[in-house]
Amino acid sequence: MRQKKGLVLRDVCGEKVIIGEGLEAVDFGRLMCLNDTAAWLWEKASEIGDFSVEELAEALFEEFEVTKEQALQDVKDIVAKWEETGILE
Amino acid sequence: MRKHYTVAGHGFVVDAEETLFPEMKQYEPFMDEEDGNTLFTLRVQKSVAPILYRELHRQEDEGTSIICGETPEGKTVLEFQVSDEVMGRLVCSQDFTVGDVYYMGQRLYVVNNSLMMMYTFASSEKLTTLFHSSVVSHQGKAYMFLGKSGTGKSTHSQLWLKHIEGTELVNDDNPVVRLIDGEARVYGSPWSGKTPCYRNVDYPIGGIVKLKQAPHNEIRRMKPVEAYVALAMSISGMRWKKQMGDGLHQTENLLTATVPIWHLSCLPDQEAAELCCKTIANKD
Repeated sequence: MRQKKGLVLRDVCGEKVIIGEGLEAVDFGRLMCLNDTAAWLWEKASEIGDFSVEELAEALFEEFEVTKEQALQDVKDIVAKWEETGILE
Repeated sequence: MRKHYTVAGHGFVVDAEETLFPEMKQYEPFMDEEDGNTLFTLRVQKSVAPILYRELHRQEDEGTSIICGETPEGKTVLEFQVSDEVMGRLVCSQDFTVGDVYYMGQRLYVVNNSLMMMYTFASSEKLTTLFHSSVVSHQGKAYMFLGKSGTGKSTHSQLWLKHIEGTELVNDDNPVVRLIDGEARVYGSPWSGKTPCYRNVDYPIGGIVKLKQAPHNEIRRMKPVEAYVALAMSISGMRWKKQMGDGLHQTENLLTATVPIWHLSCLPDQEAAELCCKTIANKD
């Protein structure tokens, strides 16, 4: 899976927010706030491009002090939320 | 013939046939000498020659359209239409320092739109932005009212002018906001919608109010993300160009952090203006 085009992650007064700024997604009516972990994963997913849950879980496990099981569960939850919101394709 | 103007401290040159300038009355308060501080030059010519470009985006408003596109070389093109008829086309240099506008009709309309576009693009990385709003001054500070088209921005300004002593209109449609040394200021401009209010004045911003029509009057302070979105919806620009998107974000983010931003549900009445003024004026 990959992120929809035209979405950017912005820091708005300390809050991480995904906003549609591209030609494909100019829409300020809809935006999504992310916690620090989700924002970190979003940037990681952005670097990878066509990413998988497993790749993100591996990255999370390497960067933070979490177990592999916990990392996988966290990524699954977060990615499920992204899919629900419609910011992936 | 060339003339130089300065709006919110940023200069620009209009290079056109002599007959254009007597029509540009609204720019006269902003006219000055060329001083090296020139953001961009707009060259105006009459021409019906077609320009090859690919459409990227279209903005429509009350029978007028602005189509934004790109030439094969990557230059930005804007086409201005009134009732589906092309009035002019603006071709911008890659760095937005030179604009060539070719008009077929409604010269002043085309020049006004071209200047607003060039100004927006050329200033987007300078913590400066045109801001769709109606603005009044009161006791040394300015208060900006924003909202969707038809919400009553101008009406709310008129209510301040009528019922709150010492209020003056700064601009009724498109003032310029600029952050300098951490302070947010608003400047009058030659662009003021249907109201002829072209004042070369500026004030520190005391508050920004997003208006919404309601059957009652109620005001509350907005949270940062909500406030940021309200600002972004009142500021146009080609955000899909990364540098411009980043520049506008920086301006909007700093404004959100610097200026108190409010949400006013209101009726078009005296009480709305008084409630608003009492709540937001001289409070930091």
